[in-house]
Amino acid sequence: MADAQPPPVLVAQGIGHISRNFLREVGGVFWFIVNTFEEMFERIQQGRVPFRATSFFRHSQRAGVDSVPLVGLVSFFLGLTMTLLTGYQLQRFGTERLIPGLVAIGFTRELGPLLTGIMVAARIGAAFTAELGTMQVSEEVEAIESMGIGPLRFLVAPRMLALILLMPCLSTASNIAAILASSLICKAYFSIAFPYFLDLVKDSLLIRDIITGIFKSFLFGLLIAAIACYRGLTVKGGAAGVGISTTSSVVTAITAVIGFDTLYNVIYTTFYPT
Amino acid sequence: MTTPKHMVELRDVCMQFEENKVLDGFSLNVEPQERLVIMGQSGSGKSTILRLILGTLRPNAGSIFFKRFEITGLQRRKLQAVRQHMGMVYQYSALLSSRNVRENVALPLEELTDKSRDEIDKIVDEKLELVGMKDSKDLLPEELSGGMRKRVALARALVLEPELMLLDEPSAGLDPVIASVIDELIISLSDTAKVTSITVTHEMDSAFRIGTRMAMLYQGKIIEEAEPEKFKQSKNPVVAQFLSGSTEGPILEGSLDAITKK
Repeated sequence: MADAQPPPVLVAQGIGHISRNFLREVGGVFWFIVNTFEEMFERIQQGRVPFRATSFFRHSQRAGVDSVPLVGLVSFFLGLTMTLLTGYQLQRFGTERLIPGLVAIGFTRELGPLLTGIMVAARIGAAFTAELGTMQVSEEVEAIESMGIGPLRFLVAPRMLALILLMPCLSTASNIAAILASSLICKAYFSIAFPYFLDLVKDSLLIRDIITGIFKSFLFGLLIAAIACYRGLTVKGGAAGVGISTTSSVVTAITAVIGFDTLYNVIYTTFYPT
Repeated sequence: MTTPKHMVELRDVCMQFEENKVLDGFSLNVEPQERLVIMGQSGSGKSTILRLILGTLRPNAGSIFFKRFEITGLQRRKLQAVRQHMGMVYQYSALLSSRNVRENVALPLEELTDKSRDEIDKIVDEKLELVGMKDSKDLLPEELSGGMRKRVALARALVLEPELMLLDEPSAGLDPVIASVIDELIISLSDTAKVTSITVTHEMDSAFRIGTRMAMLYQGKIIEEAEPEKFKQSKNPVVAQFLSGSTEGPILEGSLDAITKK
């Protein structure tokens, strides 16, 4: 074909197209967060609550309390596995007493928030997107807007705030479950009694690790809620569109959580290497 | 730019969705307490006009005024305040599916006013009674028929006592009796509560019953505007074909030539 473009041009076009879409989405989510907080503060300035407490507690119950069994169970099993696998390796060098610290630091600083983020993105992010997406395609969101009610503060703000505030709690539940599982394995396989296990955990765990984990959890909560709600409110194409957006929301949120975690670790270890 | 004298004014509005030009230099004035009915083919942009007035869509060009406010230039906060003076009834009702009838109707009052629970209940009961839905206030939208949903949507649009009602196919899908009840309600609102209304509809009976002025939208412009009796006798071939429902005429040809010939 005479007018066919050479492959390098097509590749460059493809990269340009993907980059443009990526930047557009990042910008979209960023302004979505800004506008949500702006609507909330405008409402507060008017001397009114931005959303009803019942709405916030309903989402907190669903996103937080109802997620505890899943997060707890997965973290418990992972704590068991991690202790067993690392324990046998460390036993060869006679350093089993490092296990409690390893699990405690590993979960508090890294795995707890990360695992919780992934599970919440899959469980709650999908639900938020599907719910708001359905409201969007059935004109409910537009109806709310047409009444003069800000849809961001009415629909998004309670979900976002619930997830931001509940994520650290869920991460803590995840940490406790994993450390508990680790203590059981330590007792059963490596003869580390529970009081000694606790002493080792306390010796190795720094406040800095706990603060890092909690800070990450807040960040992941904001990211997951923002991506899920943004995808929900930008659904196009009826029921099929809701399905596509829900899948995309989960994939994007999980990728964003892992990406931000990596970025955070890189920055953190650069400035605080020890 | 001159200050508008009308309740609603659209000046040279252009609206395009990707390649599809829906409104092309569209202009329209609506006077206070008037009941304007806009007719036109499916997909001709009738609902778009209502959304533009509400400010949920922004035009590509032109200006839209509601009283002294230019909708197209308003900041979000001001726009939200202006919308509280309008009531919109959507074609498919757009009730919040997770809330029952009472909660749907009470929503604007709960969110936008400082009224007590008792006051809200009283207003909700009053509005639901007006549309004959008082006995269904604990039902969820999925438990209602299409007609019932539309009546609840009308009650919800009325709770804030709007000055302007925007109605998208208010009687479509309703049985003739309920359709007449809704029409009578719209008429009584303008007579008693001085509400101005803009109705978009295909239903001829309903349109001529409600309207104090009729307008025909065709190819992005108003091609005929008249009082109901004059409108019925319009010589415009598009209007004549639309009113008669004939397959012969310029509408299916999709050309403006036939209109301008006359």
